[in-house]
Amino acid sequence: MTRLLIAASFALPLALAAAALWPAMRGRLLALLPVAPLPALAAAILAPGGSLVLTPDPLRLTLALDTPGAMLLGASALLWCAAGAYAASYLATSPRRTAFAVWWLLTMAGSLGLCLVADMTSFYLFFTVASLAAYGLVAHEATPTAQRASLVYMALALLGEAFLLLAFVMMAIGVPGGGNPSIAQAVAGVATSPFRDTILALLVLGFGLKMGLVPLHVWMPLAHPVAPMPASAVLSGIVVKAGVIGLIRFLPFGAPLGGWGEALIILGLFTAFYAVAIGLTQPHPKVVLAYSTVSQMGVVAAIAGAGLVSDSNATPVLVAFYALHHMLVKGALFLGVGVIAAAGGPSARPVFVVMAALALALAGLPFTSGALAKYAVKDLFGNGIAALAATLSATGSTLLMLHFLRRLSRLSASDIEVRPPAGLLLPFLATAAASFLVACLLLPSTGTPYAAVFAPEALWKASWPMLLGAALALALRRSALRMPSIPEGDLIVLAARLVPAIRRLADAADRMDETLRSWPVAGALLLLLLLGLGAAMQLSAGFHPVGG
Amino acid sequence: MTVSLLPVWAVLAPVIGLCALLLLEGRLRPEWVAAPFIAIGLYLSISIAYEVISHEASLVYALGGWLPPLGLTLRADGVGAVLLALTALVMVGVSICAWAPADGAGGRGRSGFWALLLALWSALNLAFIAQDLFNFFVALEMLSFSAVALVALDGSRDALTAALRYLLFALAGSVLYLLGVGMIYGRYAVLDLAGLREIAQADPVTLAALALMTVGLMAKAALFPLHLWLPPAHASAPAPASAVLSALVVKAPFLIILRLWVDLLPLSAATAPPQILAGLGSVAILLFSILALRQQRLKLMIAYSTLAQIGYLFLMFPLMPGPAPWLDIGWTGGILQLVSHGIAKAAMFLAAGLIYEALGHDRVSELAGLARRQPMTLVAFAIAGLSLMGLPPSGGFIAKLLLLTAAVEAGAWWIAIVVLAGGILAAFYVFRALGSALAEGTPAVAPVALYRQGAVLALALCALALGFVPLRPFALLAIGRPLEAMEALP
Amino acid sequence: MSATILGLTGALLVGIGLFGLIVHPTALRKLLAFNLVGAGVFLIFGVVARRAAAAGLPGDPVPQAIVITGIVVAFAATALAATLLARLSEPGEQP
Repeated sequence: MTRLLIAASFALPLALAAAALWPAMRGRLLALLPVAPLPALAAAILAPGGSLVLTPDPLRLTLALDTPGAMLLGASALLWCAAGAYAASYLATSPRRTAFAVWWLLTMAGSLGLCLVADMTSFYLFFTVASLAAYGLVAHEATPTAQRASLVYMALALLGEAFLLLAFVMMAIGVPGGGNPSIAQAVAGVATSPFRDTILALLVLGFGLKMGLVPLHVWMPLAHPVAPMPASAVLSGIVVKAGVIGLIRFLPFGAPLGGWGEALIILGLFTAFYAVAIGLTQPHPKVVLAYSTVSQMGVVAAIAGAGLVSDSNATPVLVAFYALHHMLVKGALFLGVGVIAAAGGPSARPVFVVMAALALALAGLPFTSGALAKYAVKDLFGNGIAALAATLSATGSTLLMLHFLRRLSRLSASDIEVRPPAGLLLPFLATAAASFLVACLLLPSTGTPYAAVFAPEALWKASWPMLLGAALALALRRSALRMPSIPEGDLIVLAARLVPAIRRLADAADRMDETLRSWPVAGALLLLLLLGLGAAMQLSAGFHPVGG
Repeated sequence: MTVSLLPVWAVLAPVIGLCALLLLEGRLRPEWVAAPFIAIGLYLSISIAYEVISHEASLVYALGGWLPPLGLTLRADGVGAVLLALTALVMVGVSICAWAPADGAGGRGRSGFWALLLALWSALNLAFIAQDLFNFFVALEMLSFSAVALVALDGSRDALTAALRYLLFALAGSVLYLLGVGMIYGRYAVLDLAGLREIAQADPVTLAALALMTVGLMAKAALFPLHLWLPPAHASAPAPASAVLSALVVKAPFLIILRLWVDLLPLSAATAPPQILAGLGSVAILLFSILALRQQRLKLMIAYSTLAQIGYLFLMFPLMPGPAPWLDIGWTGGILQLVSHGIAKAAMFLAAGLIYEALGHDRVSELAGLARRQPMTLVAFAIAGLSLMGLPPSGGFIAKLLLLTAAVEAGAWWIAIVVLAGGILAAFYVFRALGSALAEGTPAVAPVALYRQGAVLALALCALALGFVPLRPFALLAIGRPLEAMEALP
Repeated sequence: MSATILGLTGALLVGIGLFGLIVHPTALRKLLAFNLVGAGVFLIFGVVARRAAAAGLPGDPVPQAIVITGIVVAFAATALAATLLARLSEPGEQP
């Protein structure tokens, strides 16, 4: 039974996507979106510890559900479910809803499968499915902005995948027996591998790209806001977590790694503050949320780095717990932006209160999932400067989230009579409630007692950085400092300068081909090649006598 | 080795079909005449593969009982059997897709297509199981002639020009190859590969002959920079013909180069010549992937993609450092790349052909609305594209993974980088076409029979299924190696 | 001695032919050049056969068989190319 659930977690979304080939099914696909993640949800609840070998040796495609995997699987399934219901209402009249549903289901299959796989090839498979199918979600609106964003997304996703593939190949070489090793086997060899530093650099690049670590974050503020609202929610909430799962699975926690943990902390915290600074300059609430995701993923990377340094066995669970909190909160925030936009005056007000609680949860507001998550991971950072910086990241988040709320308040519908449709409101409220309830339920599995989190001392520890943030926000507003206007995706502007050069290069390739395809040139090259290859063969045979 | 007549029949059966087509022309529909021979060809290829696998030994037949050096032998080893099966699979897919009994247009063109397809099949089978240098030449010429005629089949001026260019360049390659054969014979008085293997020396004459043969074959395989003939030829042939040309025909000269370098005179992988081949392959991958991205027509885009994918094949030469190259991971990766590209490219060209039929054009930028009108064709195109990009799950992915592993093990970082960069570029040109087809639109679409779309999808799914082979050197591909000379008839 | 002359002639023909194949722009000339290269290669095969005969064998049949096959192939190629050329120069086909 548990095995069936595990397999159905990704098989059902895949089957539904394939059903789009039948015209009769196409119309109903969108309405079925909330059903697709149910087996995964059941698996996360009923089957932790279960495993399933899809194909035996030598293929070794294996699924296994451990605690961090189950946490992320369950939370993603919940968000997929709620966002699916939201999408069914949000896109009910869109002419491209079938295509949207297919991309949605494929992304879902990939992201859910990713929490389950235990061997290298399957991990790469699901990682690829999740990131490439998400292209369809980014490109859905088909506007010029969406086209540009999806192109950038695609280019960087492919680049990240190339990094990862090379890293995986280098890891697999170290495993005796070769073939397709389990992730655990391959990771065990990393610390002693001759390619150790290259492997770790490639892993950080590949997963960091997915998580949006600076400077590889440029696609996120472009891609997340252009997608339809429910798609933004799953992109920022779930798809980004593919990088987090990667770090959980592939970083060799508990092995001496000279400097890599510290490097990851620095990179993560730099990302956290950098994204806050850029996010403050952004006018659109969705873009601000995207920068907040970049910032929060920086914190997650720092947590993983701290885990490497402190050698704690609990690191994977803690990283997963923090990611779970961010997943549900960020998902709910994106869904909420759509609800606010569809609500006028009075009906927007209660929604706004929920949104404020959610937004400040990201900064660690007491009695929210954020406070639980931040408290659970605080011991990893120890007491040094890293701990202080991690605490101050809450100040940054407060600043950014207050900016978000200010921007959000201008978004509500102009017609004050408009009420948000239940199809949008209920999934939003369900996700918001789930973010707190699930985090509370799962807190004991991180080894943190409830009493400690709600102790006055802990509450103060969570509050003072936020009060500092609020004070800063007030000061910032008073100072009437004009925010510079920074385009979405900030550093991408630098990359855009390369475009003419690339175009010239491609033109040169065209001309080169034109020349090569003329007879005299091709004929002369034929002879030249003959002479060159002949000479090379004579020479190399002279130095290395070979022969039968 | 096992003695069997099957290899002989594999070469002869399509020729008999060709004769039947010529005899019955005008009396029966050519499809119906060709069909039984295609079925027989499929049966023969499967039986050969089955025999080779079950006995773990190659199938051999000495024609007329004459042994080398005077006689000719045919010999299906592990690689040969795999390629025969690949050929049969692609031929069957192409035949179903080209099958149009309801279509009133018939006559010479259609009967010519089926006759040339059978001729091509015979030539391919011969090239894959021939055993001596001169037999290779005969097979290659049969192959070139039927391929050129297929290109010219539609009779348009572009097609004729492309065919002529193809023929002349292929002939230039042929004479170089033949010159090399003459030098080898002058030096050793043996042409049989297994016999040569025992006595060949790395002396100047042998190496010069090897260089001549290799360059001649490279011209026929359209390796950079000898590719001038391929894009116009593959783009102007009828789509089912392009599928066979891109999927199979360019592979035959490549396989012969591989046999020369691995079976005849194994040159150390560390020396310059294998690096030169891989270097040319790398340039091909990068340059032609960029050019594929810039093509306006779908068929030209696929033709350039073929040029890039041929480059991948040549990467394997420096990646077989062992004393028995056929046990190295690079060997398996290269052959798997050959097979998976064959299937995927056939599916892609056939899909492009159906798209052309449906829309009346194949301009990449004007495919909007296709996803809704012909989802099956488009899914086939996408799956084939997956294999070309080297994304899982697909044969192309496993091949890329094996080549990457071999490159990292050999310390050839530049090859690893080229393989990865080529995959990214391939993704761009495939997504460019897919993105255009996924856009909203309501084009006028001519109906295309469902079974033809199904055949393309089935081929593409075969490329997908290849993604489920284990990641290690296959014993199958080492069957029959090292070559043993036939001393007497067993 | 005559073997050397034959060989040199063959080499010369191959050289001239390759030159023509590369340099001449018109297809017909390329075709003729190809036939020259072919003739040169066949001459070289002739030398190979003679050398075997000089070694005491009663003449070597293999190169002769190859040359005959080669000539047939070259003839077929020429015929195919000529047909294509003729089709290309048909008045109706002119653009």
